Amino acid sequence: MRSSRTLYLFAAPALVLYGGFFLLPAVQGLRYATTDWDGYSSTFHDVGAANLTDVVTDDDLFRHALTNNLKFLLVVVLGQTALALLLAVLLAARSRGSTWLRALFFLPTILSSVSVAFIWKFVYDPNFGLANALLRAVGLGRFESSYLGNESTAILWVAVAQIWFHAGQMMVVYIAGINQIPDELYDAARTDGAGRWQQFRHVTWPMVAPATALVVAYTTLQSFKAFDLILGLAGNPPRSGLDVLATRIYSTFANSQLGYAAAESIVFMVAIALVTFLQNRAARMVHG
Amino acid sequence: MPYSRRHLLQLAAGSGAAAFLAACAGPGGSSSSTSNSDGPISFAHWRAEDKEVFEQIIKTSGSAVRQDISPSNDYQSTALQKLRGGTVGDAFTAFRGAQFLEIAKAGVWTDLTGKPLVAKYEPNLITAGAQDGKQLGLPYQLVFNTPLVNRDLVTETPKDWDSFLALLETLKGKGVTPIAWPGGDAANAGQLLNVMVVNNAPADDALGKIETGETKVTDDWFLTVLKQYQQLTPYFQKGSTGTSSDAALALFAQGKAGLLATGSFQVSGVRKLGATFPIDLLAPITTTADKAKYEGVFNATFILGVNAKSSKKDAAQAWLDKLSDPAVAGVYANGTAQHVTVKGVEYTNADLKALAPWLTKKTALAPRFQFSNLDVRGAVENAAVAVVGGKSPEEAAEAAQKVVDQKK
Repeated sequence: MRSSRTLYLFAAPALVLYGGFFLLPAVQGLRYATTDWDGYSSTFHDVGAANLTDVVTDDDLFRHALTNNLKFLLVVVLGQTALALLLAVLLAARSRGSTWLRALFFLPTILSSVSVAFIWKFVYDPNFGLANALLRAVGLGRFESSYLGNESTAILWVAVAQIWFHAGQMMVVYIAGINQIPDELYDAARTDGAGRWQQFRHVTWPMVAPATALVVAYTTLQSFKAFDLILGLAGNPPRSGLDVLATRIYSTFANSQLGYAAAESIVFMVAIALVTFLQNRAARMVHG
Repeated sequence: MPYSRRHLLQLAAGSGAAAFLAACAGPGGSSSSTSNSDGPISFAHWRAEDKEVFEQIIKTSGSAVRQDISPSNDYQSTALQKLRGGTVGDAFTAFRGAQFLEIAKAGVWTDLTGKPLVAKYEPNLITAGAQDGKQLGLPYQLVFNTPLVNRDLVTETPKDWDSFLALLETLKGKGVTPIAWPGGDAANAGQLLNVMVVNNAPADDALGKIETGETKVTDDWFLTVLKQYQQLTPYFQKGSTGTSSDAALALFAQGKAGLLATGSFQVSGVRKLGATFPIDLLAPITTTADKAKYEGVFNATFILGVNAKSSKKDAAQAWLDKLSDPAVAGVYANGTAQHVTVKGVEYTNADLKALAPWLTKKTALAPRFQFSNLDVRGAVENAAVAVVGGKSPEEAAEAAQKVVDQKK
C-alpha cells in the first residue's frame, strides 16, 4: 500500500513540467487575450472579448494567414503523404540500392530549416534561380515565374519546399508499416491473379492505414507549425501572400500587441483542434 | 513525517490552485537586470556587415565589448524583449521610428541629455534620437535611402519624372535592367517608397499620418505614387516581386542593372562583390522639376543608447564615448562606407568621398520610418509591391486602406 502511494511521486516531475510549461501559459494566454497589454508596460486595460471578436471578424491579415495556412496544409498533407507512400512502396525492398536511396531521400530531414530555406531561396530566385534556369534549359521558358513573389501562389511554392524537407521522414514511417505486412497476403493476392496495382490497392493501402493516420496527423501539426521555413524564405515579417498563423502571431507580438497576439493564439489553437477533429472523423469514415 | 494519498492530493490541488490564480493575474510588472557586472559589456545591434570594423575598434581601444548581432528584421521584432531582460545590450542600437518609440515607452533608454558625448554630434542629425526634450539615443549612421546608380551606365541626372522614364527606356534599349529592385525582401522593398513619396506627398509627414487616419492610402497623392510604381514595373528586373536583396545587389554589382533601388548602406556590399564602376545616388524625381522639393532621402539611424536596465551602464556609456570620438567614428565610417553623424570626421573611403556632395543636397528624412505600427507600414508598402505584381493602383490602395483601418 505504501509503495503504491510512492508511485504517485514518480509522476510528479512530468506533471510539474506539463503544468508549468503548458497549462499555466495556456491559462495566462487566456487572461492576456482579454487585455490590451503591449508586452512590457506595467499598465494595461481589460478589453473583454474585443480582441477575440476582432481576430475573428475584422482582421484581414489574420484571415489571409488562416487561408494561407489551410492551403499550405492541404497541399503538404496530400503531397507529402502521397510522395512518402510512393517512395516507401518503391524502396521497401531490402537491397543495397534501396538502402542508399532511402538515406538520400531522408537526408533533407536532418537539415535545419534555415538551411532548407537558403537552398530553396536559391531555387526560386527569378533571375539566378535553378527553377527558372531548368525551365529555360528544356525550352519551357514561357513558364518562368517569380515564385515567392506571386501573391496568389507563393504559399504553394513554400509547400513544395516543405514536402521536399519532410517527405523522407514520413517515408521511413511508411516503410516500417509496409514491412509489417505479412508476405502471405501478397502470395494470396498473386494466387488470385492480382497485379501490382491491385496488390497495392487491396493489400498495401489498407494495411498501412495506421501509418497513414500517423503521417497525416504529424504532417498536419508540422504544417501548422511551419514557422522558421516561412520566415527563412519570406523574410520577417512575411508579406500577406506568405503569412501563416504562426508568423502572423509572431508579427503581432513583435508589434508590441501581446494581448492581441494571445487572442490570435487562442483562435490558432481552436483551428488546430478543429482540423484534427475533422481529420479523425474522416479517417474513421475511410477506414471504418 | 508520514504522508497519505490525501495529503499528496491536497498538496497538488493547493499548488495547482495557486499557480492557476497566479496565471490569471494581470500582465505587467517590470524586469530588472540579471546580468553579471563582471566581464565584457554586450553591444546589441543588427549590422553583421559591420562586425569586423567594430572588432577592430574594440581591439585597438582595449574596450571589453561583446557584439550581440541579430538580423535586422529579427532585431526589429525582438530587441526590446531582450533589452528589457538586461542580459543582452548593455549598449544597444535602435531603428528610427517605431522601435525607438517602443524602447522609449518601455523606459529602456538612459537619458543622455547634457552628457559631453552629445556635443560631438551634428545637432540637426540626432533629432531622431530625442523625445520630449531628452536626448535618449544618438543616431550614428547617416545613410541615403536613395537608389544607387552605376555612373558607367548612367551619366545624366533626370530632373523630372518624364525624363527619368526616358532614361529607363534608354537603359532598357541597351539591354540593361534599368532598376534592380528587391521586391521580395520585406526590409528593402520599401526603401524605394521613400523617394517615390517625398515629392508627391502634400506634407513631409503625410505618410506617417496614414496611421492616424489624417491621410489615406486612397488619397490622390498616394494613388499617384502607386500609378508611378505601375509605370516603373516594365523597368524592374524579371520577377522583381520575388527578388531577394542579395540577388538585386548581385545584378547591380555585375553591371547588369543601371540602378539599385535601396540605398547607400549597400555600397560596401556592392564593392565586396567586386564592382569597380563609379557609384553615385540618383532619386527618381516624381514630379515636374519646378515642383520637386527634394533631390533624395536620408536617414539618421542606428541609434546608439545605454540600457537603463543594465548593471554596466558606466561601461556601456564609455563604449558610446569611444564610438563618438571623431577618430573612431572615422574608422567606422571608412571601414563600412557609411557616413556618420559625428562632427569632424575625415572621410578617406573613395565611395564616401564621392557621395559627400549629398551631405549638403536637399534631402528629406526617410518617411517610411514615420510609422509606429509595423502592420500599417507593411500594408502601405505592400500596396506598392502588389501594384508591381499586377494589381491596379486603386485596388491595391483600397486593400491597404482596409488593413490600415483595422490596425490603426
